[in-house]
Amino acid sequence: MRYVISGYTVVLAILFLYGVQLVWRRRRLNRLVADVEGSRTPDRPQTGIG
Amino acid sequence: MTTKTIVQSPRVIWTTRIIGLLALVGTGLTVWLGLWVTPPDQTQGDLVRLVYIHPGVAWVALYLAFGLAAGCSLLYLWPRTRSLFWDRLAAASVEVGVVFNVCTLISGSIWGKPTWGVWWAWDARLTSTAVLLVLFLGYLALRRVPAEPEVRARRSAFAALFAVVDVPIVHFSVVWWKTLHQGATVLNANLSPTIHGSMAWTLLLGFVALTLAFVWMLLVRYRIGALEDYLGSGELDMALLERQSEGVVPPAPDLKAEALAPVDDAGAAPGPRAPAEVTR
Repeated sequence: MRYVISGYTVVLAILFLYGVQLVWRRRRLNRLVADVEGSRTPDRPQTGIG
Repeated sequence: MTTKTIVQSPRVIWTTRIIGLLALVGTGLTVWLGLWVTPPDQTQGDLVRLVYIHPGVAWVALYLAFGLAAGCSLLYLWPRTRSLFWDRLAAASVEVGVVFNVCTLISGSIWGKPTWGVWWAWDARLTSTAVLLVLFLGYLALRRVPAEPEVRARRSAFAALFAVVDVPIVHFSVVWWKTLHQGATVLNANLSPTIHGSMAWTLLLGFVALTLAFVWMLLVRYRIGALEDYLGSGELDMALLERQSEGVVPPAPDLKAEALAPVDDAGAAPGPRAPAEVTR
């Protein structure tokens, strides 16, 4: 039975950790997009360059 | 429809969440049924419980993920359907498929030790599955080579179509060669196997749950790819944006003008490049 438990544990742990990593990456990118879009808003100080 | 619309659509977000929830519940049920409810096998005893996850992850990796990647690559290469949407979907599918492929090899190895007496054998099924993993790792490596999105998409599509040739070899390896790995059992018409009702349902549930898990991961991974494209995806851009969001670098007043400006004497890094609007 220890092989069975090991098999389930390893597979589910890999899938779970990959899923967590995906969510973390998506949230980080969402924050970056919000940041970029925030920096595009006109209430920010403009230098007039470009 | 723009990439931004796709990735921020509430409908897509909610669908992703529901699929994720169903995958979690389905996987939990499979584990419960597989470990505690279903009976042990007459020959394999408790080891048969690995059947509820091993073929499921193999199905997702080999047929679903890599098959989808090949289909998307074909659609990208076909001039009438050419769109970076297909390229992004293929990339997402391969990445998730590689994770499932690793799970297939590990769970198979863990099953192999008590049944065959070895963790690994250079058997046709095992070897061709390992080759498949290497091929798609190569695909992911190829995508990291800097290039214009269209160039990267075209070369990746060819790489996926080259790699997917191994899938039928994996499938028929147990027919073409004498292997330690058993051939098709449940769906083998010549064997007409009998399987306990609870075992059959748990096996089916495992397939469904892992398929849902794949779909959830695919949707989230696609969204990541779309957001990366939206942000310009350059490593420098990403690093600068990250530093900016952490407050290390103040936000640039004008994003376009300072994208490639050198670092000044005070050590201030240039601002990020304006994100490109990538459309489907």
